[in-house]
Amino acid sequence: MLGNDIVDLVLAKTQSNWRRKNYLHKIFTAEEQLLITSSENPDEMVWLLWSMKESAYKIYNRKTGIRSFAPKSLKCSIHSNTGQTYGEVNIEDHTYFTKSDIETSYLHTVASAESGNLKSISIAIYTSPDHLFDYKSTKPGSVSHHGQYLALVY
Amino acid sequence: MPALSLKNTLMNKEQIIEALKTIVEPYSEETTALADIDENTDFINDLKINSANLVDIILDIEEKFKIEIDNDSMAKMLNVKATTEIIAEKLEARAGQ
Repeated sequence: MLGNDIVDLVLAKTQSNWRRKNYLHKIFTAEEQLLITSSENPDEMVWLLWSMKESAYKIYNRKTGIRSFAPKSLKCSIHSNTGQTYGEVNIEDHTYFTKSDIETSYLHTVASAESGNLKSISIAIYTSPDHLFDYKSTKPGSVSHHGQYLALVY
Repeated sequence: MPALSLKNTLMNKEQIIEALKTIVEPYSEETTALADIDENTDFINDLKINSANLVDIILDIEEKFKIEIDNDSMAKMLNVKATTEIIAEKLEARAGQ
């Protein structure tokens, strides 16, 4: 089972003001907030952690049938942050493994319940208007839209 | 009887939904769903609100109603019905203090 999440970094800049009072506190654990405040690029760290949570939640939601808005209960840790970012997200007794790509204008994370298959997942990212096709017929394992991007994983 | 007079100022369900509509409007482009907002409206499925903006809505609710939304309450706030119930509950708890 797969999950994925794409963040249009240009849109995120105007759509969300994470510097707003109490914003970080509502969604990130103390450890995650420390990662953000100590980061050289806090904007990137906010959306990296957020996309890890979102992609892991997509698997958790399908697996358990639980629908909730509890971003703080999805706890992220980052294992390597050179080039591609590998990490994991824990919620209750579930662990999801993540791989993220950080580009100038977007950030993408794919999550899997098995650490071994992260490397074999294929990722397709389309930019508007090329995303207007019948992607459902390609049977993606997870779909994510944000701003001008569509991300599919198989 | 200060407790009683405070209780009289509590908002009813319709008033809370009306206030909630004003809060969510800037975060949704679904004009039809916004116009038809009722208890059954879902923030994500119907109003297509971005999940990062759901945090803004929670913060706006805290400011507007002067209440604190704990994590367990926030977890349920994906639709108008649950959100209205939580706001009413918090307002009542505050009035009873």
